[in-house]
Amino acid sequence: MDGIVSRRSDTPPIFKAVISATYKENLAYRSQMAISIFTQPIYFLVQYFIWQSVFKISDTVSGFTLDQMLLYFAISSLSGFLNWDSAGTELQDLIQTGKFITFQIRPVSHIYYSFFQKVGNRILAFWVEMVPVIFFYILFGIDLIPAKPFWTVISFSISFVLSFLVSYTVGTIAFWLVKTDGVRRSILLFTQIFSGLFLPLNLFPKGFQKILFYLPFQFITYVPTRVYIGSYELAGITMPIPQIVFLQAIMVVIMFLVNRFIWSMGIKRFTGVGS
Amino acid sequence: MMQVISQNTREKMKGLRYSGFGVYIQGIKSSLASRMAYRGDFIMSMFIMMIVELGGPVITLIIYNNGASFPGWGVYEVLLLQGIFLLSRGISFPFFMGIVWNTISRVQEGTFDLLLIKPRSILLMSIASAFDSEDLGKLIGGILVFGIAMKNLPAQPLHNWITFFIFFIFSILLMFAFGLFMAGLGIVWIGNYRIYDIFMTVMEFGMYPKSIFTKSFQTITTYIIPISLLASYPASALLGKPNTNVLLALASAIVFFLAGLWFYFRMVANYTSSGG
Repeated sequence: MDGIVSRRSDTPPIFKAVISATYKENLAYRSQMAISIFTQPIYFLVQYFIWQSVFKISDTVSGFTLDQMLLYFAISSLSGFLNWDSAGTELQDLIQTGKFITFQIRPVSHIYYSFFQKVGNRILAFWVEMVPVIFFYILFGIDLIPAKPFWTVISFSISFVLSFLVSYTVGTIAFWLVKTDGVRRSILLFTQIFSGLFLPLNLFPKGFQKILFYLPFQFITYVPTRVYIGSYELAGITMPIPQIVFLQAIMVVIMFLVNRFIWSMGIKRFTGVGS
Repeated sequence: MMQVISQNTREKMKGLRYSGFGVYIQGIKSSLASRMAYRGDFIMSMFIMMIVELGGPVITLIIYNNGASFPGWGVYEVLLLQGIFLLSRGISFPFFMGIVWNTISRVQEGTFDLLLIKPRSILLMSIASAFDSEDLGKLIGGILVFGIAMKNLPAQPLHNWITFFIFFIFSILLMFAFGLFMAGLGIVWIGNYRIYDIFMTVMEFGMYPKSIFTKSFQTITTYIIPISLLASYPASALLGKPNTNVLLALASAIVFFLAGLWFYFRMVANYTSSGG
């Protein structure tokens, strides 16, 4: 009982330490992160040329004007920076090498440890990657003022947690498989496509949009980006912003429960010696 | 007499085995053998590589399905261009582009020295020990898109095909030059796998018709970093569309390739290590 109490009272400093340590550790590799300052503007320029060319022929594509389309790509890229994490990969590595055993004896739950590692990593990414890219968008003339600032903050925060949960859940596959690179890459790819990172989901065929509506992926990029723009529509379904953000929050709860369920089954299979 | 012939054949086979090509084939065999230890993962990874490659064509299809288009280009013409781009990538990535990750990881671990002390060119050894079998998925993706596009386009005359093949060779040459630049960078920029990101993003310009870019960008992508030669020029040649300043573009590709070779060997010469 004492152990539980002291563990609870120690919890905030531990996570603060995890955030701080991850931040410092990643700071040593900031030049790798900074490559986004070069790559993202180029990627955006390509998108700009593609869509400028497309919009020469039609004024709107699936309800988007050229400015809205560019805003979508700008915001979805920022969402991509914010949500990026390597929790799944690191968990798989820990399980496969057996190093995960050290977490079994630490007074901290691995899921929270991993989440706060992401927080530390993304705080650094905010300064190194996001701020310069935001400046680029502003110089490019993209109007970055969100339509509903309050809901935008809430929605992006939820997507931050949800993307972590998806990645972490994918990582638990390592409890069952010896080599997981292929499965991880495939799930990552489908997550990126179905989240709307590469293309607004309402451009996909209508039947496919209906499937996408019921999957958790749209809540990672598409929903926060649409909340930022100020309107939501998918598969012909339109919703007020607070309602879709509420659904996003429910999805986080569902994903958390799914993760804990899979985790409880997987952890029984884990064996490690020494490490 | 028979014995002499068979001895000659054996000598020839031995010569072939120890030639640059033989070393390269041996590298492919070893790579495939080690990858086959995890067949399921290999097949899955190859499948994913193929799906990843289809991203660009899918975006094109979605654009055209939404009633929009690239001016002057039909949907299958754009798919042909993208198919050529993917074919070029599908040949480069498994067969020689592995030089990039191989160099980065070996320099980081200190095992690049092991290649340097071998009695063969460092370039050959870096390529031969980096065959990336998973990337064959890219080639399958390229063949698929190219095939679908060709099936839906009218048959092209022989001279278009000949011009296309010449341009396609330059496309591969250009990919090789990119590989040399990245591998060279990997020697000095230790452990930075995001060098790939720089390359992949710049390559995005090659995946769409040259005409969608502004004049200044067209100049950059034709003469400075001749990305237009990756797919836009070969596709236009195959479709019989006019290509302007062809000779200048080809010359620029040769200069780019020579610059890549110079850069790579310069970086190798500058490489220092403490033995790994």
